Amino acid sequence: MAAPANAAFVASRRRLFTALAASTGAPLTDPALAMRRPGRDGMREAELPTSPQALTFPPSAVRWLTRTTFGFSTAEHAAFLALGANDDARWLAWLTRQLDPAAIADTACDARLAGAGFTTLGKSANQLWTDHHASSNYYTRMLPVSESECATLIRQTYSQRQLYEVMVDFWHDHFSVFGWDYDGGPMFPAFDRDAIRPYGHALGNFRAMLEAVGKSASMMYMLDLYANEAGHPNENYARELLELHTLGAENYAGIVPNPDSWANMQALGHFTAWDGEEQRLRYVDDDVYEAARALTGWTVSGANWPYTPVNGAPLGDFAYDDTRHDQLTKHVLARYFAAYQRQADGLLLFDMLAQHPGTARFVAGKLCRRFVGDNAPAALVQDAAELFQQQWQAPDQIAQVLRLILQSDAFKTNWGTKMKRPALAAVSALRATGADFTPVPDNTSTYTPTKEFVGRLQAAGHRLFYWPAPNGYPDDQVAWSSTGTLGMTLKLLPRLLEMHQVESYNNANPFLTDIQAQTLAAFPDPAGRSAAAIIGYWCDRILGYRPEPLHTAAIDLLRQNAAASAPLDLVSDDSPNGQPARTGKWNLNNLSQHYTIARLRTAVALILCSPEFLRR
Amino acid sequence: MTSLNRRDFLKGCCAAGLAAGTSERALAWFAPPDLQPAAATADTLVVIFLRGAMDGLSLLPPGANSPFRADYEVARSGTRVPTSGTGAALALNGTQWALHPRASGLRDLFQSQHLAFVVAAGQKQPVPVVRSHFEAQANLEFGFGGGTGTNIGWMTRHLASGGLPATVPLPAASMGSLTASSLLGSTDAITMDSASDFRLDTFHWSWQDDDPAHGLVGAVSRLNGLWNGSTLLERAGADTLGSLALLRPINFGLYNATSNPGGYRPSGGANYALNYNAGFGNQLRNVAQLIKLGLGLRAVTIDLGNWDTHVGQGNPSQSYDWFGNQVESLSAGLAAFYTDLASDAAGNYMRNVNVLVVSEFGRRVQENADGGTDHGYGNVMLALGGAVNGGVVYGNFPGLRSDQLYQGTDVAVTTDYRQVVSEALIRRMGNPNIYHVFPGYAGYTPLGIFQGTDLPPSNFDRIFGNGFDGA
Repeated sequence: MAAPANAAFVASRRRLFTALAASTGAPLTDPALAMRRPGRDGMREAELPTSPQALTFPPSAVRWLTRTTFGFSTAEHAAFLALGANDDARWLAWLTRQLDPAAIADTACDARLAGAGFTTLGKSANQLWTDHHASSNYYTRMLPVSESECATLIRQTYSQRQLYEVMVDFWHDHFSVFGWDYDGGPMFPAFDRDAIRPYGHALGNFRAMLEAVGKSASMMYMLDLYANEAGHPNENYARELLELHTLGAENYAGIVPNPDSWANMQALGHFTAWDGEEQRLRYVDDDVYEAARALTGWTVSGANWPYTPVNGAPLGDFAYDDTRHDQLTKHVLARYFAAYQRQADGLLLFDMLAQHPGTARFVAGKLCRRFVGDNAPAALVQDAAELFQQQWQAPDQIAQVLRLILQSDAFKTNWGTKMKRPALAAVSALRATGADFTPVPDNTSTYTPTKEFVGRLQAAGHRLFYWPAPNGYPDDQVAWSSTGTLGMTLKLLPRLLEMHQVESYNNANPFLTDIQAQTLAAFPDPAGRSAAAIIGYWCDRILGYRPEPLHTAAIDLLRQNAAASAPLDLVSDDSPNGQPARTGKWNLNNLSQHYTIARLRTAVALILCSPEFLRR
Repeated sequence: MTSLNRRDFLKGCCAAGLAAGTSERALAWFAPPDLQPAAATADTLVVIFLRGAMDGLSLLPPGANSPFRADYEVARSGTRVPTSGTGAALALNGTQWALHPRASGLRDLFQSQHLAFVVAAGQKQPVPVVRSHFEAQANLEFGFGGGTGTNIGWMTRHLASGGLPATVPLPAASMGSLTASSLLGSTDAITMDSASDFRLDTFHWSWQDDDPAHGLVGAVSRLNGLWNGSTLLERAGADTLGSLALLRPINFGLYNATSNPGGYRPSGGANYALNYNAGFGNQLRNVAQLIKLGLGLRAVTIDLGNWDTHVGQGNPSQSYDWFGNQVESLSAGLAAFYTDLASDAAGNYMRNVNVLVVSEFGRRVQENADGGTDHGYGNVMLALGGAVNGGVVYGNFPGLRSDQLYQGTDVAVTTDYRQVVSEALIRRMGNPNIYHVFPGYAGYTPLGIFQGTDLPPSNFDRIFGNGFDGA
């Protein structure tokens, strides 16, 4: 083609290309060949190398703990090492312990939660309704979800029940509710506590959790189930129940008339359910409408006119209103629902969805994506799905599936195909650097570290319970590798080392995490405080290993013109207004003595801002 | 600002990376495109996505004299936009349609012939039709007529085939924390939620920035050396650092004589401060500023959410008017954007700026019992710009009688969104490769929404039609 009008452009591009390659000594590949390779034209290659051979692998314990906790910490690592003679034995012991969270003492985390002084998290749904849902004061209304957010951050950072907390996070994505919904926000602690967090749900039985979620006021408001009544079904919940909570969009066939005809049953697939009934595999729009009808009358007591208790259920509790239930026959996924089955319609619906092979595959696929990687082996997903379906009535169904996934070779060998999402990056930085942070909400004008922390998570696109749509935060690397979220994550991480207790920018208050004090404690002998030793120490604490070129880059920043082995003065400081500046002394004429305390924090921040820290 | 271009930028901050052996990523930036359309222009295409399925029948209801009005009033009572009395719709001269009363900005743009509507627009593919938000959004943004392909969005394919010169510093922007699916896979796009926040300034100040006079290399510069690997994560990090560096010199704050004298001053008295969805106004302002800076913006995505009105949609006759608040954001935001860009002292930028407004699908004709509307099919699209043949309602509206509706419930789709987008790509962007942008799409003809030159639509071959000059 090469019309004259654009030849100049092409030529200039080539000149630029050639000149640059020559000036940098890069091998001068044939531009014609370079052009024809996919991904050289403004599009990423479909299959970028995600874990090239050159990638330095951290030790197995680091890899496994990083992907099953809210980030590696030396404390977790030390406990892990004490569990057996080799890593595989230790891993089995660690897993067994983590899958029985009730047996794990969590005193430090409990004490921190108690110290936070939360007032709403123990309230029943009815108390939340009375004290918060009925309030017209926005702060009062949203205090319950704000406290849930803070308590969740505390648990993610400090709980010993790390795998359980990871699963709580997983289910909050799966059953995503926008926390600050005007009606759902006041009820959020009941949703979190009674639907998601019971051990018998998060690590237990999917069917039990599914029903508890459906009956929860926060979910009912999120997807309008409370307003679903006979003659006027509201299909919002039923649609997302099928698409997001159970079968998944991968089993959605769109608008198909007569889905239960013989031909369509063949086309859409079918299987034999637990009771011998033949059910359709893929769902169509008619199934959404019929499922909505099956759930008519399910509501929140007091949510609809005349706003009085339904059937004596306390306000804010789940209620089944038979007068609003569609009593006629229904067909969902080719299964016949007899007339006048009342609330049992909904229970049957949950049964058939929980036992459905599409649900097993969808949920197992998401679990594998979370723990193994974006391209988890199909065979592993299949094995996990089969176990999920077989064990659909087992009280430890989810724990069994997790054990299968987390003991697989794919889990053990895979590394680096995913990145930490922003909230995970932030929490794992708190864990790795030994932060002392008890986030609490308040309605003063003080710029607290809590406000700053959640505000920066929001800017990075990952504030907890803040995803507006019911599909939950994405969990694949491609969604999170945008310049926006990565840029704001790189902005958040250094700030964690500069934030102060109580009032974020008030230097009179202690840091959230005092890098200087921890370094001095780790190196009591001033002669040992060399850049090489200190960076080695912080690489070990934050990453569990010392990858290059990061390790050397951090040493170079810290040492400046001093030798890597020369001791640094980490004590001398300015003290304007009688307060330690926590910067060290000015000396631009000798950079190794210039603001050394601030430089130490900056060097540790550099480790946090590395691909090695954000990889999982 | 005009001195900033991608070449300078690379000289300044990526040469070190190249020297360190990271040529691979940089090469991706320098490689010529497969095709250099002769007619490639420097226009900007802004796609505003109304997420959650906007109720087109409430934004653009049938007017008092419309043959569709009676059916509309039967189907809509709690969500009705009346044609008289409190909250009466705004008449649109020369049409049988009316506008929601909170859309006075859109009305003015329509009457001045800069804004056009396309009724009964939507996705003719895939079949069967889907009513899932997430699937429908993905289908529309990936542009494969269904499915996500290899996670490459249609705008990415447009940029890659549309003759983008190498010297464009900022070809595309996705306004939001996460990249819009239509720009997924692009190495040309910057994603940012708020331009003024998009900067690295949180290291301790003493070691953050370079101080060449004293040989101090700050932490921000040192980050470049950490993100040189070839993994997806490291490439994304390098992209991010490059984007941050590119935008760092720009003051995105709003002008204030005392507190921010170097800030951005919208032209023509444009007011981006919205009563609802304030972030949308800020993003429009950021985009206008980037356009005026001459950074070469070709493609932009902006989202405006909260349209999923299953319950309590409201109506303009009463004080509770949720949908109206949304309409006001869209209308006031677009009016400010147009005013700002059309009345700049440097000229009328809107002659080369084209805005398309889409939503994943429309809402059901019959409202529900909860004062809301459920998922439907056909919807209205908007086209705004100085080169839009505005003041016209395009498309064939099939009617609201039950036998005229899709499946008896929804507005049928008579105009595929790809037809409208393709016209923008050909007539405004000068890219004829619409069948590459939308694989599986065929039979394009222009509706006449945009001014510009028609080119024969094509689907170039990646291997052989690569535009290499053969020298």
